[in-house]
Amino acid sequence: MWTIDVLRSRAFRLALAFALAIAAAATVVFTLIYLQFSAASERMVGARLTDEAARALDAGDEELRAQITQRLASDLRRLDYAGLFDAKGALLLGDPPSLPPIRTDGRPHLVASVPARGAGRPDQAIFVAVRRADGSILVLGRSLSEINDLRRTVARSLALALAPTTILILIIGAVFARRAQRRLGDIHAAIAEIMKGDLKQRLPVMSEVDDLDRVARDVNLMLDEIWRLLDQVRHIGDDIAHDLRTPLAVARAKIERGLERGATIGELRAAMAEALNHLDRSAATISAFLRISAMESGRRERSFGPVDFSAVCAGLFEFYEPLAQSKGVAIALAAPRPTLVRGDEDLLREAISNLVDNAIKFTPEGGRVLIAAANADGLATVEVSDSGCGVRPQDREDIFRRFYRGGRDSAAPGYGLGLSIVAAVAKLHGFCLTVEDNAPGARFVLRGDGLVFDSDEAPRGAGAAAPKRSKASA
Amino acid sequence: MPQTASIGAKPAVLVIEDERALAEEIRYELQAEGYPVALAETRAEGLRVARAGGAAVLVVDRMLNHEDGLSILEALREEGNPTPILVISALSTVDDRIRGLKAGGDDYLVKPFELRELTARVEALSRRIPDSRATRLRAGPLEMDLVERSVRRGDRRVELLPREFKLLEYFMRRPNQIVTRAMLLEDVWNYKFLPQTNVVDVHIGNLRRKIDAGGEPRLIVNVRAAGFKLHVDD
Repeated sequence: MWTIDVLRSRAFRLALAFALAIAAAATVVFTLIYLQFSAASERMVGARLTDEAARALDAGDEELRAQITQRLASDLRRLDYAGLFDAKGALLLGDPPSLPPIRTDGRPHLVASVPARGAGRPDQAIFVAVRRADGSILVLGRSLSEINDLRRTVARSLALALAPTTILILIIGAVFARRAQRRLGDIHAAIAEIMKGDLKQRLPVMSEVDDLDRVARDVNLMLDEIWRLLDQVRHIGDDIAHDLRTPLAVARAKIERGLERGATIGELRAAMAEALNHLDRSAATISAFLRISAMESGRRERSFGPVDFSAVCAGLFEFYEPLAQSKGVAIALAAPRPTLVRGDEDLLREAISNLVDNAIKFTPEGGRVLIAAANADGLATVEVSDSGCGVRPQDREDIFRRFYRGGRDSAAPGYGLGLSIVAAVAKLHGFCLTVEDNAPGARFVLRGDGLVFDSDEAPRGAGAAAPKRSKASA
Repeated sequence: MPQTASIGAKPAVLVIEDERALAEEIRYELQAEGYPVALAETRAEGLRVARAGGAAVLVVDRMLNHEDGLSILEALREEGNPTPILVISALSTVDDRIRGLKAGGDDYLVKPFELRELTARVEALSRRIPDSRATRLRAGPLEMDLVERSVRRGDRRVELLPREFKLLEYFMRRPNQIVTRAMLLEDVWNYKFLPQTNVVDVHIGNLRRKIDAGGEPRLIVNVRAAGFKLHVDD
């Protein structure tokens, strides 16, 4: 597992590539140094020989012979050459034994293979040859064996340095690869658990913040969100099951009793009609659940546009006026000016309609219902207030929860469904929905950011003529 | 197999629905109303029967065994087939509805629905006549002038509020046809939801009081478990 997987891992491959690159770079650098160094050494030797040969030309014969002898005698390492040849090229004095194959032009020349003095192996040397006034030829030279030794040393140290560097990089790469491998293995194992259905599992996160860690943290956040949504779905499922079980059980009981004891067609019909009623309630519950869920998942936002609360209220006032009158409830509208918000007109109308519906339903004969829309300080507000029985303070939070029944008169039909839809619509729009005491009665307030059309007398902000909207949290 | 010959006066209806039990209930209900009914269970079968002609109204389930019922609509409309289509669906969001109508549906009904609602919609579709440009409507003793915005019952002038006028106009364009509360809400008030109170009935009641004065026979009658009907002698 360790060997093959590590060799295959990205980190190791990266280390390998890195090592190769470093080796190549080092080789180039060393090669350049090496070449520069050799050329410089050879130039130096050549220049010195040229100078010495030029100086020797001025010396007399005796003096020159003495110099040659002295030079050879003092050269303990036997690197120097100094020889005097006659005009025909025969050795008169000194070393090398034969005239090197170079021009006698007083300039340095490289001779590839010169038998070393003594028993040494043939070696490279640089020679300078000058012709003296009497026709004899003076040859001065120096073996390059010393420089070549140095070159070899440089090359060897290069090789010696390169190998451990490369190996070190590879080892470091392997260690990193191993670590990454282990983390990836952990992550892999965690993902496998998650895929098996354990959604509470999280990816391991180290204390250091690297890229892998960031991804792991992001994935964990995503899992948190998925878990939250799943939990919500599970709750919805539980809620549906709970809210459906009751009407279904009742419908079943009615039918069962009708079948067992219904002696006449009339009794059977009555039982069936009651059962149907409860089945309809189940269907309404399902529809409401689905609508609220669809709203809560926020899929409708693209249908948002400017909506005039005042116009919506006016339409609803006209729609509900006959119902209020038939119940002996006085209904009034106070929406004098346009009150623009951004939203889904159908949903907002449905929400406010539910509030008005409830208000009329819970207000006894002789009572009052007021629908009001207003715009103040950039907030658009719709208020539906009644003089009915009101909402108990302890119920004011709960009544917006899904399918909550109670608070006012739990016997009244459709109460829970309606308000939970209002709450869902408000949440979808980022509007604030509250219920207050109307003393007597209840006042439901839907409040959201107003759309502002910049007009001449009220320039607001930097926005031009376009509707301005800022989103508030619910 | 499709029954192409019409029984009585009612036109044939083709129901494309893969849930057998629901399809049978729809057939039962429509046949009880006098419609000859053909059933199809798959997209291919439905398309074949629809293309063969004979059905005056199609009822199409949007989701047929993982097949898209809307593709039937699209195919038929592409071929220039104008048969009115009622889409029934478990998908209820406005987007779903809009997509259903865009694909060529004439009406959209969300499951679960009352069967009477479905038959009322089928009836409305089968009688669909292009909006007449007539400025006067007549139904039995009722007469409506759309330009003057006036209504008479026989010799008697009936004074109506604008909302009552709109409501009566809707009925007068559909004499002797069942009109459900949902249809009224959608078409007259443009509301896409059902209020929990009987507000529609109150509106109808007010309208009735104005058009049926002093012992005259009721023109707008209740149809049990379905809705209302403007009942006039043809």
